[in-house]
Formats: sequence, C-alpha cells, structure tokens
Amino acid sequence: MKLVIDERRCKGCNLCTLVCPYRIFRPGKTPNRKGTIIPELDRPERCTNCRLRHLYGRTLCGMCQMICPDQAIRWEEEKPNEPHKVAIEY
Amino acid sequence: MTYQEWFREDRLPHIYCTGCGNGTVINCTLMAVDEMGWKKEDTAFISGIGCSSRAPGYIVTDSLHTTHGRALAFATGVKLGNPDLHVVVFTGDGDLAAIGGNHFIHACRRNIDLTVVCMNNQIYGMTGGQGSPTTPMGALSTTTPYGSAEPAFDLCELAMAAGANYVSRWTSYHVKELTRAVLTGMQTPGLSFIEALVQCPTNYGRRNKFKQVLDQVEFMRSHTVLIQKLKRMEEQGEKFPDPVIPVGEFVRRNRPALGVKV
Ligand SMILES: Cc1ncc(C[n+]2csc(CCOP(=O)(O)OP(=O)(O)O)c2C)c(N)n1
Ligand code: SF4
Ligand code: SF4
Ligand SMILES: [Mg+2]
Repeated sequence: MKLVIDERRCKGCNLCTLVCPYRIFRPGKTPNRKGTIIPELDRPERCTNCRLRHLYGRTLCGMCQMICPDQAIRWEEEKPNEPHKVAIEY
Repeated sequence: MTYQEWFREDRLPHIYCTGCGNGTVINCTLMAVDEMGWKKEDTAFISGIGCSSRAPGYIVTDSLHTTHGRALAFATGVKLGNPDLHVVVFTGDGDLAAIGGNHFIHACRRNIDLTVVCMNNQIYGMTGGQGSPTTPMGALSTTTPYGSAEPAFDLCELAMAAGANYVSRWTSYHVKELTRAVLTGMQTPGLSFIEALVQCPTNYGRRNKFKQVLDQVEFMRSHTVLIQKLKRMEEQGEKFPDPVIPVGEFVRRNRPALGVKV
C-alpha cells in the first residue's frame, strides 16, 4: 500500500504533521495550482499502515487519516514495479 | 464497510475553513457509526444552524438541517415518531447552549435515546465570531472586544445535572478517545452527550493568540487532564493546573429513558 494526500481535498492545515509517530508529514514549501501548500511526505514507505495493513487485514494507526479534517489522506494499492515499493519488514 | 463510505463524496471538499476541527469530529462520529454496524437506511443525522450543523449535509443518510437551536426538538420528534431509527444530532455551542439551551436541558431530563455530538468551538463561528455561552472568561470575540467578563457554561456538567445517561468530553486532537466516547454513547440507551472541543482558527484562534491552526490544537493537547485524575488531585488537596480542560467520561448511568427501541 502507499500513502497519498488527495490534492483536490487538502487545504494545507498541516494537522497530519502533528500526529504521525514517524513524522512522515512535513509542512510543504511550494503552493500547488490552487495555491494550497500541501504537506510533503518523508519516506512514506515507513508508515505502519503501508507495511502491515494487508497482513493484519485492517487499518493500523491511521491517526493522520482520522485527524485530517478534509478527508484527504488514504492508502492506495501500488502498481507492480512502482518505484516506491513498500517492503513488509523495514 | 469503512467510515469513508458514509461520506457524500459528491459534496466534498466541505466548506469548513482550513484546519477547522469540525471535519475531524465528523470522521470520529462516522467511525463510531460504522463500528456500531448501523444501516444507512436506519440512521438519521439531525442538526440546527451553524458551521457545525452543516455536518449532516456531507453524510449519505437521511438528515434534517433544521432551524437554529431546534435540532434536539426535531430529533425528539423523529425518535418518538420512529423509535427504530438511530438518531444522531450534530450541534454547536451556540446552537445547543444559547438559543437551544432550553431544548438541551429538557432533552436531557427526558433522557431521549439520542446521541448528541456538540462541536464546541467556544464561539459563533458561522456568523463571524460573536461570543457564545461557552466563550471562556477573558477570551476575545467580536462581542467581547475587551475579553469576555462572564463565566462560561460547562456543557458536560449541565448535561449531567439535567439527567443525561452518558456524558463525556474530548477534543478534536484526541481522535481515538473521541471515537470511543461516541461509540459508548451510541451503545448507551437514553441521551448520550459528547462534547468535542474543536479549533476554529478563523474566528476564535485568530483573535486569541493562536496564530496557527496547530497552536490551538497543541493547547488542547497540553491542557487536557482526565476527570478522574482531577478528582484525585482534589481529594489530595493538590492545586489544579490553570487553565485546565477536564476530559473523559463524566457519567454513565441508567436513568429511565424515553424512546428506547424495545
Ligand atoms: C433564529 C436565528 N437566530 C440567529 C441566527 C444566526 N445564526 C446563525 S449560526 C449562529 C451561531 C452558530 O453558532 P454555533 O452553534 O456555535 O455554531 P458554529 O458556527 O460555531 O459551529 C447564529 C447566531 C439564525 N440563523 N437563526
Ligand atoms: S497511519 Fe500513522 S504511521 Fe502511517 S502516516 Fe498516518 S500517522 Fe503516520
Ligand atoms: S468559521 Fe470556524 S467553525 Fe466555521 S468553518 Fe471556519 S474554522 Fe470552522
Ligand atoms: Mg460554535
């Protein structure tokens, strides 16, 4: 699984940067086309949910998704051979 | 099913300002609804007027967006008309405790089988930041330009005194605890009141030294103390930190309730 921020929904409040135990989210620097500064992801493959969701069959941690007031955070299946391939053990 | 499926995707993103805590409270409430395993056809969301009260419009179930302060009155009607429905009320501090204050105490007294989630941002958000009955002493708002000189309502104490079966308070920072509280509220027959303190960066934070969204959330994180711990401190004669936000479960009991599905 990989972590994605939906740019159509994110309003740039940075609440996710407050809750992630791995500090995967960092305040962004450059505004996107809508003028919103979306947080940056720092090595998102470290996220517990990315690594172990399939193994446990449920959402783990998920703090960023719960606190996101704009429902902008989700996990997606990766396509085969995607560059940011997630390993089960890290 | 996941809680995301309860959102009306076609209506997102919602109108709330950047960093508004209301969106987080909707997440937590829908997560609890999902864990209850309720069906969409059997669930109704009722609200009054305010930013907080716009929440039902983003949810797929039937809903009533009623007049200011009257969410509980409408919800009482819905629940008594069809006790099979699961009725959840979204309301704000102004909606619930100012114009709707009388409905609030009587709904608690009747102990109607509703789950009431109050997004308390301590301000009238929608109308531009007027002081509400929960605006803390000293806080600035457009109607208290020199700082509020009145003591504020403690909504949980009020609900408890009026007779609600379940009362608890958390904040939009404590997402897991808030979800669990809403879930427990939904499982408890009778009126369940869950107060969620939320940040309103636009109309409260901006005027009260919380320049960034994170500042107000950080304040809620660092000033909340479990109610049980506060009681212990009181017994031992220790001094409370000031300011302090008591959080946790205030009461869970079994008074006679109205409209409970048999
Ligand atoms: C009968 C009536 N009086 C006044 C208003 C104006 N009004 C709209 S929202 C609101 C305050 C809402 O405050 P609150 O319930 O705290 O909601 P928030 O926007 O803070 O979430 C007021 C006074 C109204 N719509 N109807
Ligand atoms: S699920 Fe938890 S670990 Fe993964 S990105 Fe979100 S907050 Fe961080
Ligand atoms: S005015 Fe306040 S309560 Fe209303 S949407 Fe904006 S931040 Fe939220
Ligand atoms: Mg309010």
